[in-house]
Amino acid sequence: MSVKIEVIEGGMPHQKILIAGLVLAVIGLYLSYLNVIVGTQMFAFFGGLAAIAALIWGSHTIKILASYGIGTGVPSAGMIAFGSGVIAFLFATKYGLYAPIVAIILAAVIGAILGYLANEVLAMHIPVMIKSLTEMAVVGALTLMGFSAMISGSFTFSALTTGSMKVLGMSLPSYQASYIGGALIATVFMLGAIAIQHGFNACLGPGWKQDRMLMLVAECGFLSMMVAAVMSAALISPAAAILSFLIGLVGWYYTYMKYIELSKRDAAAWLDLKPIPEVEGH
Amino acid sequence: MSALGGAKPAGGATGIAPVPAVISLVIFVIIFALMYMVGTPLAMTALIGIVIGGLLIGFGVHFVPVGGAPAAMGQAPGIATGVAMLAAGGGLAGLFGGAWAASQGTLVAVVTGAIGGGLMLAITCFFVNFVYIYGMGIPAASGKVKKDPITGDSQVEYKSQGTEGHGLPFVSFTGGVIGGLLGGAGGTLIYLMLLDVYQASLPGIMKATAVQIQPIAVSLAGMFAIGIFLVIAVLAAYNITGTIEGPHDPKFKRFPRALIACAVASALCGVMAILLVMV
Repeated sequence: MSVKIEVIEGGMPHQKILIAGLVLAVIGLYLSYLNVIVGTQMFAFFGGLAAIAALIWGSHTIKILASYGIGTGVPSAGMIAFGSGVIAFLFATKYGLYAPIVAIILAAVIGAILGYLANEVLAMHIPVMIKSLTEMAVVGALTLMGFSAMISGSFTFSALTTGSMKVLGMSLPSYQASYIGGALIATVFMLGAIAIQHGFNACLGPGWKQDRMLMLVAECGFLSMMVAAVMSAALISPAAAILSFLIGLVGWYYTYMKYIELSKRDAAAWLDLKPIPEVEGH
Repeated sequence: MSALGGAKPAGGATGIAPVPAVISLVIFVIIFALMYMVGTPLAMTALIGIVIGGLLIGFGVHFVPVGGAPAAMGQAPGIATGVAMLAAGGGLAGLFGGAWAASQGTLVAVVTGAIGGGLMLAITCFFVNFVYIYGMGIPAASGKVKKDPITGDSQVEYKSQGTEGHGLPFVSFTGGVIGGLLGGAGGTLIYLMLLDVYQASLPGIMKATAVQIQPIAVSLAGMFAIGIFLVIAVLAAYNITGTIEGPHDPKFKRFPRALIACAVASALCGVMAILLVMV
């Protein structure tokens, strides 16, 4: 059960990806906090970039864990990452400016206990189980926080639960037109949970290459960022939402082209088949 | 069993290892003690409800016939997807169903949730067999038992050589529906417990009326319920490690240790969800 069935060959060591993902995600989250300091909403897109950094780290963690053959499929790893992450994230939003730090600590504690339960009580006995579930809970919390900051402009509890509604030209506070009250968080949950697991699920196998998988995860992340930008138009200023969307679009186009290039590099052979063959005559 | 020199399973493949079980119990008691010190009686009741819900989900997952990739090729019995996906499908369908009935009292809502989850898995199982029998042309046969424990039908003659069985025999179908019922009931119970806590405490915290905070309470309770549900479903899936045929499968006997893990996990996640509005 705990025999390592796939080895990691080449590429960046996991430790490096872990540190880069964690640092970039935290920096991105705090850059999105510039919104509050400067009094604008234009920096919301930094939240999306923070989420993508966390997603890239998380997908590599899934790769490490799944290489031991957990037997339940790769998507289950994404589900437990976000299931435990959402609990840490929602609790941490109470702590205002310190929310990202509290979320990381809390998610790590929840993840470590879940890892212990899986490894010892459920007798999985996988050497990286506790570490992986800890990392994945943190990734889930940071990704949700990143997209939340992007959609609502901030990651504090009051900002996530209070929106405003225009009634007869007057701006009234509304709890329904908010990130949590409008249940946008449920969509973000699934966007993130699919983005984190798709990369490894699609690239696994003997031909696995690290850079190709991470590029696909970044592509999924930017795709999610575009959807989140569309949703953010409901809560933040149109200019900020359009800026987020454009950054997502540019990032997606770049990572998508790069991914196709890498796929062609790793393929044994490929034929540039046109999508719709032209029929001569009739 | 470990090729890397790790610890050997202390209690055998299906038993409970004593030391981790005791440590889990200690964590469980600490969580309840913490709740007792900072929480209200309502919060304490809610936490107990969440643990019961978690146990229902964790137990229910073991009933669902999960086939995984081999089932997609007709080489193993069960529904051709992973445990987490099936549990999420059945349980969340139940949770959404139960949430609609939340205003009609706990019992009605929990029963509605159970029916929602059971119905979802019954439909899934029906169409799985429909596709297997009429689409792929293979009969339903179990690979783990000689006779179906419920109907007594012989299985061996229908099982193709080189496979572990295929399709959904009657006992697996029944197991799926029972799993859906338990999962839906558990998910709804967690949601209702959290909804009660939030409806009682959010108006004071946010300085708003109960009607105003209703969307926040519903959304928070729903989100936490989904999070707790997925955590428990995946832990139960780890216990099964891949595929299971249903309640007659030898792997089903592993459920006691899953109950320990699910109780601790649901208490841990539940206490976070409740403390959000307590401290």
